[in-house]
Amino acid sequence: MNADDPPPLTDDEAVGRSLAGDLTAYEALVTRYTAIAHRTAFLLGAGDEAEDVVQEAFVKAYRHLRSFRRDSAFRPWLLRIVANETHNATRSRGRRADLSVRLEAVRKPGGPEDPQDTAVAGDRSARLLAAVRALPDREREAVVCRYFLQLSEAETAEVLDCPIGSVKSRTHRGLRRLREEVDRELL
Amino acid sequence: MNSSDDPFEAELRALGESLHVPPPPTAMADRVLTALREPEPKRRFTTKRLVAVLAAFLVVLVAATPQGRAAVAEVLRFAGVEIEVGGSAPLPSGSPSPLPSETSAALAEARGAVAFPLVVPAALGEPDQVRVADGGQVVSMYWDGIRLDQYDGSLREVWHKQLGDPYPQQLWLGTTSAVWIPQQHGIEYLPAGGGNPVSLRLAGPTLIWQHGRVGLRLEGVPDVEEAKKIAASAR
Repeated sequence: MNADDPPPLTDDEAVGRSLAGDLTAYEALVTRYTAIAHRTAFLLGAGDEAEDVVQEAFVKAYRHLRSFRRDSAFRPWLLRIVANETHNATRSRGRRADLSVRLEAVRKPGGPEDPQDTAVAGDRSARLLAAVRALPDREREAVVCRYFLQLSEAETAEVLDCPIGSVKSRTHRGLRRLREEVDRELL
Repeated sequence: MNSSDDPFEAELRALGESLHVPPPPTAMADRVLTALREPEPKRRFTTKRLVAVLAAFLVVLVAATPQGRAAVAEVLRFAGVEIEVGGSAPLPSGSPSPLPSETSAALAEARGAVAFPLVVPAALGEPDQVRVADGGQVVSMYWDGIRLDQYDGSLREVWHKQLGDPYPQQLWLGTTSAVWIPQQHGIEYLPAGGGNPVSLRLAGPTLIWQHGRVGLRLEGVPDVEEAKKIAASAR
């Protein structure tokens, strides 16, 4: 960054200006959070519709910005809307089936931008991924948020709209199931 | 972000980082801004909705004063309910409809079917009937002549109500603010996926409040003090 550039807006400043009708400020928030929003939608099962889900989530977030509590963080609030939109998009057409297709796709060798794909092709990684895919919905969502999206427990609770205690127990149950699954297949 | 050094958890994080996720969309800001400049699709009352957004906060501040009421608010937005206060009481139009894809459920089933925590007012006991509608967006509980709707009231408007005078009364349930509508009024349900509002029957006296993210509307208790007691007993 050039030393003469103005400092980037904080989230709170951008939210304040967006509330005052400044779409340029909202554009800054969209640019800042598109990547994580898209990854969240994709890994929660939106598949091909991830881009549309993200667009709709940003539109809804803007239209409901008044209900955002300014003393809390913008990112998990936005990701909760992304998660809701993902559910809406997938609800009508068998979400489990859809997710397995999408996760299957990630096991194919990736493009040149993704040299790490060889690691994913490893047996253990593939088994672990398959086991994540097979988790019950709530446990899978908690595991995806905590480890694949690397959200904190508090953020995960907000995104999945449940108490922190539920995040802990779903993650715990999910991890136990994954360990059992991976260990069993090693025998 | 993660203090845990459990090797299995670290392995999962590494797996996450090596997943091949499609690259993020490049022109998202343009797409979003273009969408925002278009009128909201499939929703009626767009102008009033904008008025509501602007007015909601002012309403809370000034609704207590008669001058404030006259000057500012014809639409009040509260706990997932958009209340439009018009000049005359609405007339029932057509036959009443049920909520979209409404089905009966046991209380335990209903708890499992929705993404928000359900409460039951101890003052009323177990409901006679529980119904889940619109893919888990709304749960309605019924007792003799009384209905309690619970819904996610934090992200969007779920109900549209049309009232004649008087202006709804704002009150407190402990530290929670609430709105009391003493008269019969028209009510519509706004489906989660967009689509046309579903016109319900005329609603009786109603108490509306919010508990965390959950919006609640208690209908059919004619006395406000009795309604507040029932609301306060919700667990």
